[in-house]
Amino acid sequence: MPLRFKKLIVFCLLVVLLLSGVWQIGTGSYIHAKAILAQILLETAWSETLKGHKEVKPWPWADTWPVCRLTVPRLGISRIVLAGASGSSLAFGPGHLFGSAASGEYGNTVIAGHRDTHFKFLQELKTGDAIEMQTSQGINIPYRISEIRVIHESETHYLDRIDANILTLITCYPFNAIRAGGPMRYIVIAKQLQPKII
Amino acid sequence: MKFQKPDTIISSSLHCICAGFIAGTLAGCTLVLLVMLLSAPAGATAMDDMTADDMHRIENPAAVRQGTLLFKGEQDFSVAPILKTDVQINVTGMIARAIVKQHFRNPDTTWKEGVYVFPLPEDAAVDHLRMHIGQRVIEGQIQERQQARKAYEQARSEGKKASLIEQERPNIFTTSVANVGPHEEIVIEIEYQHVVQYDTGSFRLRFPMVVAPRYIPGRPVAPKEITVNTFEGTGWAIDTDQVRDASRITPPVLHPDQGKINPVNIEVHLDTGFSLQHITSSYHNIDIKQESETGYRLTLENNTHADRDFELVWKPEPDKQPRAAFFSEHKNGKQYGLIMMLPPEQTRGEVLNREVIFVIDTSGSMSGTSIMQAKAGLELALAELKPGDRFNIIQFNSYTELLFQVPQPVTHQSLRQAKNYVRNLQAQGGTEMATALQAALKQTSEHTGVRQVIFLTDGSIGNEDALFRIIRQQLGNSRLFTVGIGSAPNSHFMSRAAEFGQGTYTYIGKVEEVQEKMQILFDKLQHPVLTDIRTTWGDDLAVEAWPQKIPDLYLGEPLLISLEAEALPENLHISGMVSNSDWHSAMKLQGGKEQTGISVLWARKKIAALMDQLNSRTEQDEVRRMIIDTAMAHHLVSKFTSLVAIDVTPARVREEILKSQSMPVNLPAGWEYEKVFGQLPQTATDAELYLIRGMLLLITGLLLAVFSRRYTRRYAFTV
Repeated sequence: MPLRFKKLIVFCLLVVLLLSGVWQIGTGSYIHAKAILAQILLETAWSETLKGHKEVKPWPWADTWPVCRLTVPRLGISRIVLAGASGSSLAFGPGHLFGSAASGEYGNTVIAGHRDTHFKFLQELKTGDAIEMQTSQGINIPYRISEIRVIHESETHYLDRIDANILTLITCYPFNAIRAGGPMRYIVIAKQLQPKII
Repeated sequence: MKFQKPDTIISSSLHCICAGFIAGTLAGCTLVLLVMLLSAPAGATAMDDMTADDMHRIENPAAVRQGTLLFKGEQDFSVAPILKTDVQINVTGMIARAIVKQHFRNPDTTWKEGVYVFPLPEDAAVDHLRMHIGQRVIEGQIQERQQARKAYEQARSEGKKASLIEQERPNIFTTSVANVGPHEEIVIEIEYQHVVQYDTGSFRLRFPMVVAPRYIPGRPVAPKEITVNTFEGTGWAIDTDQVRDASRITPPVLHPDQGKINPVNIEVHLDTGFSLQHITSSYHNIDIKQESETGYRLTLENNTHADRDFELVWKPEPDKQPRAAFFSEHKNGKQYGLIMMLPPEQTRGEVLNREVIFVIDTSGSMSGTSIMQAKAGLELALAELKPGDRFNIIQFNSYTELLFQVPQPVTHQSLRQAKNYVRNLQAQGGTEMATALQAALKQTSEHTGVRQVIFLTDGSIGNEDALFRIIRQQLGNSRLFTVGIGSAPNSHFMSRAAEFGQGTYTYIGKVEEVQEKMQILFDKLQHPVLTDIRTTWGDDLAVEAWPQKIPDLYLGEPLLISLEAEALPENLHISGMVSNSDWHSAMKLQGGKEQTGISVLWARKKIAALMDQLNSRTEQDEVRRMIIDTAMAHHLVSKFTSLVAIDVTPARVREEILKSQSMPVNLPAGWEYEKVFGQLPQTATDAELYLIRGMLLLITGLLLAVFSRRYTRRYAFTV
């Protein structure tokens, strides 16, 4: 029966399309859901850290821990930053690059985040905006954005140790690109406002 | 079929899409909850039957967070002098004397200073420097390091052509050459000597060609902390509290995309004195010509660039295998000697109930071909384990991770876990070796038998001395066997670490060698070791022999002693312990072959031994003085003495500017640039892509639904 046969094919096709559509949307929202949920779990770990505990794992098998909190008062943004900027830690929060100055330490503190989740707000930042960094000792260090630019991923000298107290935020560029893995980076450099007291 | 209005069709399909979207989002969120609440970490789930508890990570936050590749500013190599190297090595018996000619050509119209950081064999005794300016040759003088540098810097500022050879590590040297005129070429000729390695019946000659990028642990030290005695180097790294001279041992590395630089020619004249079974070059194509019964001339194929070690291996005919040799030299009223003796082969004794700790370097520098070699080596070693043995695997990069909390007995289950673990190893991150070494040497069980630590690494670190200290202090009853991996291993680290660890070292330079080299190591592990070796010279002669503490000898390893005396002793008595019983041997030292350079070898051995004492003894100034005296007397470059050559007439007038350039080097063959020097992190997810793709699929579904309804409807009317 040709009619039945055709109907069957159409039905199967519909099922396949629907299922794969659900699967794709599921995968996409999984990434966002993970990013949002992790920040909630991290709040608890961060308040533990502020109480003086060291390297509080946000969940038992985590291979990272919160190291500082970034806030942008103008945008009402607050992000908890994790140790290390590997792919696995960036899924949960912005990551502090090993080897760059630790939060509150003299030098260039480099933090990277995903352009479509935690660091999406970077596109709304303007030169002159205030950023605050809360260290694990609970000290708030004020920064002011001095420079915003788009660079190529090979320009690693932005990670260099330099003789000044600065904060470098990195995310991928362009913000609305559909695919991950592009070679351009969006970089926000903020200068520390006053010498910190530690 | 029931008739439906088109808008009903669309609305029902829209429902369908919305439901799909909601279902997808819900599925995603549920997945998050499931994964976060129930499952083990991603790394562990990838392994068949491994639970999160099976792996134990040791963190050393203080070390981990600081050390990494810390860069200084960018450099422009387009105007750096262009380098070409010619090497001629003459091998007589066991002694190799080499002449290395570094051609510095200035491609630019301004005056240049070139600074080139390059490797030599770790036991190289550098005793000559000659600077060729056109037809003129200026011979270098040996001076204390600070003095030589001062003389060089003064000549540089006065516009005189000058060159300086300094030692940074036993296997890393720096050539500086000042005032190379526009489009001019200056040739720096360096001469050195060392003993060819003789092991398991084969002779090996190694010529390293490139200083591999080193991992620099520690916190950066601010320039003000650097004392006036140090001077900043030209490398890519910043000096740190753990590697005070990091900037001097890290030559800038050219990105492989920019092609290979630094072409090398090597010519070896080999006169062994016995007929050979075979002669091979391990990693390069060579041309071999036999010139006499025991003499050969070997040349490297054209178009070779300095990006990996050169190794020549020759094997005597089985019956021509030398068992003992004695070379002597009369110089400045003193007698010098070099003694080689191969202890008789012991019968294979099955070593039972071993505890074997495997340590594998999984840092970024191992990425590429190195990690494949290391994994293959480790898999072979696992297969060698016997029931009754215990074992553990430790991997390290920025972190140290133990497979088992404590060493486990060899069972099917534990071996399978280990094999899975090894298969899934990946190379990335830093090289925090100290924590791994400490974890490996730490006794965690009540095991009292033989404890062997097999350490697979490329040794690309800058803090060798700190690691040697750990080995010496924490060795206990463990024995450390280093396996040098990759195209340009740190030979100084490999050989010294094994010596302090009372073990042996092995090199694996390509995957095809893994089987053969590991087998040699397994044989050594399973044969009795000759320990507590002592020498007596008889007749109350004043003999100064080095090394004073003779290292343990494993299967196939010869005893090597350098000596200085007023008159050569006639006899040598050697005693030692093997398998808990005494061992004695004697050797006549008459009729030794007279050969030049034996005194230099003796001085080099003495300096090496004294350098070890620098780390442990309190009278540092006294030891330092002894090193300088020995080096000056034998015209040798050492950590505290340099060779400097200065032209008398100024070439550059003061008005013209001199530009200093550090000479770039190649990335070692098989390495991955990005894994070593990093790149800005990848900071985007494919979430958007998934969402759009999902929406497209659902919309296609909708269109299909609408279309098929219409089709059905039309069909229904015609019936």
